[in-house]
Amino acid sequence: MDYSFSNVALIALLPFFAFVINAFIVKKFTKLAVTISCLAIFSSFLLACRIFKDVVFDVYSSEFYVHKYFNWIDISSATIPFKINMGIYIDNMTAIMLLMVTGVATLIHVFSTYYMHDDARFGRFFVYMSLFTSAMLGLVLSDNLLSVFIFWELMGFCSYSLIGFYYEKEGAGNASMKAFMTTRVGDVFFLVGILAIWNIVGSVSFVDIYAALSQGKFAHDIMIFGLGIPVATFAAFSIFMGTIGKSAQFPLQVWLPDAMFGPTPCSALIHAATMVAAGVYLSLRMFPLMEAGHLLTFIAYIGAITAFGAATIALVQTDIKAVLAYSTISQLGYMVLGVGVGAYNASFMHLITHAVFKACLFLAAGSVIHSLHDHHTHEHVQEMPRMGGLRKKLPFTFIAMMCCTLAISGIPFFSGFVSKDRILGDALLAALHHKVMWVPAVLGFAAAFLTAFYMFRMMFLTFFGEPRDKELYEHMHEEHLQLNSNVPLLILSIFTLGVFYSGSLTGQGFIKVFKGNYEWFGTLVEKPHVANFQDHKRQLWTMDSSVDREEFKHSRYDEKHGKTEEEAHHVHQVHLIGALMSIVIAFSGVFLSFLMYGKKSLNPAFWTGLFSGWYRGLLNKYYFDTFYIKVVIQKMLLPLNNFLAFIDMGIYDRYAIDGWENVNRWFYTVAKWFDNLVVDTVAVDGTGASVRLFNVVLRTLQSGKIQFYFIMIILVLSSYIWAIGSN
Amino acid sequence: MISLPSYLFISFLLFVAGMFVMIARKNIVAILLGIELILNSAALNFVAYTKFVNNNLDGHIMSLFIIVIAAAEAAVGLAIVIRFYQLRESVHIDDATQLQS
Repeated sequence: MDYSFSNVALIALLPFFAFVINAFIVKKFTKLAVTISCLAIFSSFLLACRIFKDVVFDVYSSEFYVHKYFNWIDISSATIPFKINMGIYIDNMTAIMLLMVTGVATLIHVFSTYYMHDDARFGRFFVYMSLFTSAMLGLVLSDNLLSVFIFWELMGFCSYSLIGFYYEKEGAGNASMKAFMTTRVGDVFFLVGILAIWNIVGSVSFVDIYAALSQGKFAHDIMIFGLGIPVATFAAFSIFMGTIGKSAQFPLQVWLPDAMFGPTPCSALIHAATMVAAGVYLSLRMFPLMEAGHLLTFIAYIGAITAFGAATIALVQTDIKAVLAYSTISQLGYMVLGVGVGAYNASFMHLITHAVFKACLFLAAGSVIHSLHDHHTHEHVQEMPRMGGLRKKLPFTFIAMMCCTLAISGIPFFSGFVSKDRILGDALLAALHHKVMWVPAVLGFAAAFLTAFYMFRMMFLTFFGEPRDKELYEHMHEEHLQLNSNVPLLILSIFTLGVFYSGSLTGQGFIKVFKGNYEWFGTLVEKPHVANFQDHKRQLWTMDSSVDREEFKHSRYDEKHGKTEEEAHHVHQVHLIGALMSIVIAFSGVFLSFLMYGKKSLNPAFWTGLFSGWYRGLLNKYYFDTFYIKVVIQKMLLPLNNFLAFIDMGIYDRYAIDGWENVNRWFYTVAKWFDNLVVDTVAVDGTGASVRLFNVVLRTLQSGKIQFYFIMIILVLSSYIWAIGSN
Repeated sequence: MISLPSYLFISFLLFVAGMFVMIARKNIVAILLGIELILNSAALNFVAYTKFVNNNLDGHIMSLFIIVIAAAEAAVGLAIVIRFYQLRESVHIDDATQLQS
């Protein structure tokens, strides 16, 4: 296929059109608006499938990319060039990401028609969802950091709107503001990073940045506060701060748990599958820059701290969505850890697998919440202590959630094992090479144990045992197979199987199911080789252009074209050790959870009593929110606010604004005097008076007496003649 | 021999007399007479110049025209005077100030 405008841009534009249309018709034709949204995202899905088929099934080259651009802004003068190009950059990662986003979004749209149909603002939800999906797809297709930033902010806005969707609820408004403002901290850094790159490279396009990296343009230092910092480090750090904000990494993770105020499908799409993953996606795109900036150790530490810390907080949460929220933060930490240890491929694979199973987990949680309706308070129940034994009434949700829990816990044959295990294996490998990497690796393994524990704790509390709130349980309806409620869950849960991502079931090549191209994911997604971008192929983006596919070498992992897969896959012994370790860890986590919540032979209350200090710390989320409110906001931002208010009110208003008023008042007096005296008296009245004077003179001349006229004629003529004669 | 200045002098006297009549007399009929005098002085000038300068008939023809015009003018002027007298019962020039407005 060709990557013309109509084929590619429509992926992002269709949901956008749906947004524009729906924004106008949603009040009157809610049903139609919902249909339009769903059809638009489904059409995008089909187009994404075409691209995926072309990239993965036809080209199959790890170096495949298409970069097309058009000129957006050109205000260059003769001396200063200033040109901004927009365009698309499609490589294997983009193609896989497109398929994931559109696929997950389609299923979530379908599920939302079930989940939201009782809601008063049923249509508006879809308006936001369409805008969000189009922004996310635009971000994935973007070829430069500027358009990434634009779509990034659009997604931030949609996230804000959807977190505050139930604005009647206490706290929803605050939560949306918190999310918006917290991510803003990272976004400011991101913008600074974009400007730094613009300053160095003269362009923010990915391919230009890669080319500049290979030419060594990032080699010099800049002075900040008297310290010489390599520009690569500065730019990489700034951009990574964007990732920290958007992907809810330590220390800006506080917004994501509060984001659960939004409707559950929006949590599934935005705060689990796509938007938060966009931060990691950005880090992966900028991976060569991070590498050049020697930032990887820092990234690995951030990721590992996030993965471990969030997992510990998840242990004590009782709200089913809060558990999933902390689990999301923890899994995002894994992805960032993967970036940090150089597991590019595994990190991206974890992004995809996590998107699938976490979206499914959220939808399943939504299904549970939707079916639990408290008839006293007329609210849906999210608290796990009131659940229990739900598997009999919600069999399909139970199946889907079980699959996803197995996947996230890292049980073999499921996708989470395949991807997480590679990250951990690479972390172990990195730890063997560099001593400083031991901490992230150990934290990663510890978080894997905790993940298995808290996920199964959630399963046991929700689906197993006896119902703890009998009345609630009695009022529940039996679940039936329904196209828009549990079918999306089951479809997503199919894709939690590991075989879709790796042909070797364990992910490390122990057992191979397919001969031949069994490692499509591993072979296609590779770190960009920056040297290849020295003379990159640029194409103007027009309506009918095609890419010459023969230019691309087939993947070097392809048996027919290069090394054998065994050689290429590079199964290190450490990976085997890591895999075995994580299997043991996962099962021990599940087992401990079973002992505590399934068999109840260990009493959780005993342990919380034993570690009561820790327990309180975990319940209070390590006092991060308290710290931010008490120290950052009240002690630092509030004085700053007061100071700025003083400048504004006390100085600017008082002297500049009021002073300007006085100056104007003086001018007004002068102008009034001038107006009265000069304009009115002299000019206006003077004109009248002079006209009156001439009137008196001329009126006497025009007497009507013929003889007087005649005398005048004679006088004039004789004076004329006299004048001529005397000359 | 009667020379050109003699003609011009007579013509000048006629012109001044006509002008004086037009300015000084208050009777409209007298003013009309003054106009006749001025016209005749002009006609005399034509004849004199054509006799002493051109030696052709242009001046004579012109003076014939003037005589015709003077007759027509006198007819119209007297008609106006009669009409004016019917309206105002006066031929005094200071009564005829309607041109003022």
